[in-house]
Amino acid sequence: MNLQRTMALLKIELKKVIREPVILFISILFPVALTLLLGLALSGLASSSVPGYSVFDTMVPGLFGYACIWITMTVATTFVDDRELGLLKRINTTRTTSGEFMVSHIISNTLISLLQVAIVAVLSFVLGFRPEGGISGFLLAFVFIGFLSICSVGFGLITATIAKNSGVASGVAMIFILPQMLFGSAGMGIPVMESTQLIAMFLPSYYATNSLKMIFSGTPLTEITIWTNLAILAILSIVIVIVGIQLFKRFGKA
Amino acid sequence: MVGLLKPTSGEIKVGGYNISKDLKKIKEMIGVCPQNAAYYKFLTGRENIELFGNLQNVDKKELKTRTDNLLKAVDFIEASKRKAKGYSGGMLRQINLLMALISDPDIIFLDEPTVGMDARVRRKTWEYIASLKEQNKTVILTTHYIEEAETLSDHVAIIDYGELIAYGTPKELMEKHNAEDLEKVFLKITGRRIAEGT
Repeated sequence: MNLQRTMALLKIELKKVIREPVILFISILFPVALTLLLGLALSGLASSSVPGYSVFDTMVPGLFGYACIWITMTVATTFVDDRELGLLKRINTTRTTSGEFMVSHIISNTLISLLQVAIVAVLSFVLGFRPEGGISGFLLAFVFIGFLSICSVGFGLITATIAKNSGVASGVAMIFILPQMLFGSAGMGIPVMESTQLIAMFLPSYYATNSLKMIFSGTPLTEITIWTNLAILAILSIVIVIVGIQLFKRFGKA
Repeated sequence: MVGLLKPTSGEIKVGGYNISKDLKKIKEMIGVCPQNAAYYKFLTGRENIELFGNLQNVDKKELKTRTDNLLKAVDFIEASKRKAKGYSGGMLRQINLLMALISDPDIIFLDEPTVGMDARVRRKTWEYIASLKEQNKTVILTTHYIEEAETLSDHVAIIDYGELIAYGTPKELMEKHNAEDLEKVFLKITGRRIAEGT
């Protein structure tokens, strides 16, 4: 792994977020707008499921997950665009290895996710969200978000393998985004039935959101469910990203 | 020859290295300018060039000097500060070429590098490609402009429908086919004009 090459690619991906209005909107402005909208609309509404909490308070873990899940679309459209422009082929003629290329994308997108979640967290705080769990709880929440981001990068790579152009990529990305939003991010206030619970257990966002809810509601960090969820999410992230990389290397580069 | 496709049969050696076994070594010594300009639209011209220098592990200080020199050589200093998305077709061609040259490669693959350039820029680019020869670089250039091949090449290979039908120095080919220029050589060999394509 060469640091100069990896850092060069990493910087490009971060510059892309700042300089491309569409990506800036999807990555940063959309989660911000969603947080503001839901926060202003629902922070005064008392939650029926958690006494002493507003509906917005119970939604915040889901909002954290939302921010990460959308990375799937950014990754997919970015890879497809780069492929269409011939950039992947061109980079492939340099000394850059597939590993360096993929690692730079995973790191950059994880950093973007963490930034998104940090912005959502600050906004939520401004709007009245007061989580339990302290600093260590917050740090653990960010570890969950990191793994969820890696899953989203993997889903993005799988999407880029299937999609022929960026328009199709946006549509195909929804196959991974919507179920995670509807079934996985139960913190968004969507009622969880037994059938949807079963589907949710196959979705990475379920493990992240579920644990974030526990952490922010004051469940002790020693609770075994939190660590079991973290282990499952870590394994899922590794499996999904490896599948994504292999599929993209084999079928998606051309 | 640049490692994008795996050979189906036979053996390819670039700079003495076998493409199936030593692709890493080959990538260290080549620069590739693809037919369609491949660049990041949201980066400036300079940033695009420097990115490919970094991807070829050019030393940071050396990279700045080389980028400056390349941009000066093709009168691109001012334009290189702007984002590439605002460039004309000819300017993109120039950046495309410079991205291939930033690593100072020994072997340079140029796939129709001057398509879309206006006459003035094309001449300037020809001069630059000719100067690469003087630096003992190997330039492999594909072109549909016979004048370009005739002006720049030591050796010309004519490929028709994927088959090598003639190879030699421009002088040898003209003498062999009793023609005044390479275009007439092409006409004689293939029985048609290049632009007709059938």
